[in-house]
Amino acid sequence: MEKTKDILLDWRLHLSVLVITVIAEAVGVIAVPIGIGSILLLPLLYAFVMGLILNPNVIRKVEGWMGQREVRAASPLIVIAIMPFIAKFGTIIGPSMEKIIAAGPALILQELGNLGTILLAFPVAVLVLGMGREAVGATFSVAREPNIAIIADKYGLKSAEGAGVMGVYVIGTLFGTFIFAILASLLATSGWFSIEALAMACGIGSGSMMAACSGALSHAVPEMKEQILALAGASNVLTYATGLYLCIFVALPVTEKLYDLLGRKEPVASNAGE
Amino acid sequence: MSTAELPVDYEANTKPDLGQHAVLLAAVSLIALVGNTVATDATVIQGLVGLAVLYVIAMVGLVLTHVVPINLPSVAWISLVGILATLPWTPGSAWVLDKVSHVNFLTLATPCLAYAGIAITRREISIAKSSGWKLFIVAVLVMTGTYVGSAIIADLFL
Repeated sequence: MEKTKDILLDWRLHLSVLVITVIAEAVGVIAVPIGIGSILLLPLLYAFVMGLILNPNVIRKVEGWMGQREVRAASPLIVIAIMPFIAKFGTIIGPSMEKIIAAGPALILQELGNLGTILLAFPVAVLVLGMGREAVGATFSVAREPNIAIIADKYGLKSAEGAGVMGVYVIGTLFGTFIFAILASLLATSGWFSIEALAMACGIGSGSMMAACSGALSHAVPEMKEQILALAGASNVLTYATGLYLCIFVALPVTEKLYDLLGRKEPVASNAGE
Repeated sequence: MSTAELPVDYEANTKPDLGQHAVLLAAVSLIALVGNTVATDATVIQGLVGLAVLYVIAMVGLVLTHVVPINLPSVAWISLVGILATLPWTPGSAWVLDKVSHVNFLTLATPCLAYAGIAITRREISIAKSSGWKLFIVAVLVMTGTYVGSAIIADLFL
């Protein structure tokens, strides 16, 4: 690992990130409405794309500005750069603690339902699509920022698991509101679940997806709008509070165990370390 | 070639060199400050104070990661410190909340994703090329599974 001084001396890297951040934030959020949902373009997505454009592995020509040295130096900074975000995230949960405690057992227990992704997505990813270790990162959670932080911390974002979680994250950010709006509308009209249950399920730990999901639900059942928004909001805050810990202690270990059972055996164990 | 490629290095990630993190975290916070100034109506001073508070929360979390013998990721500690600092019954929580309110949540993730884009290796690009469509299918199933799973359990306990 490089010394602090060396990493700070990678000034081209930090200057690039600074410029990227300024451009991305200056452009701001763009919502592209598509029928019942909308595709949400966030500054962090532009930042990711601009980072890719400056990456010599993606565009050979930028090698004069940034080389493999900067690419390597960028990797440990991913985890460090997410720390202020996670700190802010904690300060969003704290004030709502009373609301969460008051929310009741159904609301708390349905958090376990977030493990449904492992039951549905993991077997398909590994058995049908033949994915390798990236399936662990892709399917253990709904791949929002805290989940990325867990994977970055445990495997590094440069790992196969990191590629999996980033892939689902990017698709979720682009199409998540759209997918949740469709899901909520379909299930609301199916009559399979009570509307209260569907409202609670909307809280999956993403503000925009929760808004799209509860918006679509209240569109389908307008007379229950207030109740839907309150339940979805409380559930979303609860997911922020519990999701990180549910993922660390349950979801990720369970996914790992399942991979041991069903997964492709990698030829060399060091693959996971790259 | 580089030791950064070896799994043994993750040991170093979970037990961070605090001095190193303190310096890099400050550098990253400065980038976030510029981003926050562009993104929000907050003044530079408001953003600076807010980010300084978040910096302290993150550093306390890192120190806890370092000294507490439970093997939790640093992000879990940082999140916990942030929660504890802003609980309604924590003295001074209103002050903390007021200061960090000038820092935009999603803006803080922007520099991180820029680093992530720059850190992509050739190997990851080949993964994306060969399994991009698979990831799309998986992403749809992930969201469906999460949503339906929660709805089933909520329905059972209502």
